[in-house]
Amino acid sequence: MNTDIRALQLLERDLDAVAARERDRLASVERALGDGGPGGPRRLPRRGRGGGGGHNWAGVAAAVVAVLVLAGGIGFLSQGMSGDDAGSAGGGAEQAVGGELATPAPAEKEAPEDGDDEGVTRAALQAPSVSDSSAESWATRDAAGTGRPGVGAVPAQQGDLTKIVRDGRIGIVIADGSFSKGVSRVTVIARRHGGFVLSSSSRDERTGTLTLRIPAKRFDDTMLALRGLAGELDGRVDSQNITGEDVTAEFVDLGARLDILKQRRSLLRTLQNDATTSAEILRLSGLIENTQLEIENIQGRLNFLKDQVAEATIQVEVRERHAPGEEAGTDPENPSLTDSFELGVQGFLRVIGAIVVGLGYLIPVAVAAGAVYGVIRLVRRRDRVAS
Amino acid sequence: VAEERTDSELLIASRAEPEAFTELYRRHAEDLLRYFARRTLDPETAAELTAETFAEAFASRANYRDQQGVNGVAWLYGIARHRLGRFFRAGRVDAAARRKLGMPERELPPEDYERIEDLIDFAPIREALVEALDTLSDDQREAMRLRVIDGLDYAEVAQRLRCTQQNARQRVSRGLRKIALLLQERGMQLTTEVEA
Repeated sequence: MNTDIRALQLLERDLDAVAARERDRLASVERALGDGGPGGPRRLPRRGRGGGGGHNWAGVAAAVVAVLVLAGGIGFLSQGMSGDDAGSAGGGAEQAVGGELATPAPAEKEAPEDGDDEGVTRAALQAPSVSDSSAESWATRDAAGTGRPGVGAVPAQQGDLTKIVRDGRIGIVIADGSFSKGVSRVTVIARRHGGFVLSSSSRDERTGTLTLRIPAKRFDDTMLALRGLAGELDGRVDSQNITGEDVTAEFVDLGARLDILKQRRSLLRTLQNDATTSAEILRLSGLIENTQLEIENIQGRLNFLKDQVAEATIQVEVRERHAPGEEAGTDPENPSLTDSFELGVQGFLRVIGAIVVGLGYLIPVAVAAGAVYGVIRLVRRRDRVAS
Repeated sequence: VAEERTDSELLIASRAEPEAFTELYRRHAEDLLRYFARRTLDPETAAELTAETFAEAFASRANYRDQQGVNGVAWLYGIARHRLGRFFRAGRVDAAARRKLGMPERELPPEDYERIEDLIDFAPIREALVEALDTLSDDQREAMRLRVIDGLDYAEVAQRLRCTQQNARQRVSRGLRKIALLLQERGMQLTTEVEA
């Protein structure tokens, strides 16, 4: 340095000494770290706030990742909790998805929207209409006897006015080579619960569908037995779908119309007996015939409904694990490329969703923490200036 | 060996290689001293601020970021401005950064007073000084007048005031500091900015 100012020369000497001490310190840290890799001294930890360029970016990246992971965790936790809530609160009223048997339940349209205390409607809404993921937990709870009001009990109460048509659909994946055993076991289960196999179809002796008719009282037992069958044959339940259709209103309506028609028929008969002219007799007998036809129609519909209420339908799909065909691709244990991709996309979206939810929880906390930190810094700075 | 690294490169290199900082010091020490001298009008204060600024720069060299528009010198002068502002608020220079690094707090060597004053161009502030002189004690004012307005050297000033040269220097130095603080308080701009 070209200066004749002594103070600056002294200061240079002082700074040189400081630099030398710092160098020794860095060297000792480096030794302590055991000759760090190619990054060498640049990677060394440093005193004070902040680090070197690359170092700091890594720190920032790590912090961001940590925040995102935390947010994701919180998101999953909160979603898990709210999901459970929805499952138990809205379970019964949920519309079944994807089942052929899941015909839209008229009761759900006719009934007052938010179940008032009319017992009939209430019961109708509580009739299960469970699908996919919630099915398992529901079935388990029901089996344990801790679940919602016994679903099978509703149609069982014959004195009760409530008429519910129940349909079940269950997909079972079983071990390879056990298809015929599975089918015969399903038949046995149907018979043991007082029902029968209405129809069945199979393909390649590896996949097939059986339609069972089971007394309504035994519906839940049968579904449980079918689930148990999956475990018995080293398989699993692939899907389950239970729908309940409340036909009470239709039942009552048909009954009332039937009464009216019957009264009308007897009135017409009386008139016919009293008739004197053949023209009158002919006209009346035509009317009686029409009325009789209507009565029979209604009677038929009522009988069908009674039958439906008395006996539930269960459709059982039995499939060997590696059975060929379009359904084989949906086996999550052996997913196809498309399925894998879809699963991946779903997973991705779920994680992003969870992170967004988690950030919603974190941001207010972070803002509050930032405010506190700011105040502390301000106070410290003031102290430093004051001292 | 001719050092070809830029100020930014030196600052970044100094993280792992502390000696690189000394090179930065050699480049800018005198300019920074002049910067402080012209603003404080006081060699003692200017020297102290220079030392403290470099100490703080060294201690926080890891915080330097090579961003666009913030080259090494600008960063250094940023610290300097901050130090100067604190000096004007507190009326004194603290030695926190030097203490932190274990650097000694040195007295200004006698021969430096004049050399540092030479860095200050008194001409533009002479008028303002005359007005400000009223606020000084008699001793200070007399010393200031002899030294700054009459342009005598410290030997003569000391002789006229019947005191030691060191004493004369200190009177001038304290007087200048007081004036600088006063002018700063009144928001008067003493000098033009010198940093690049």
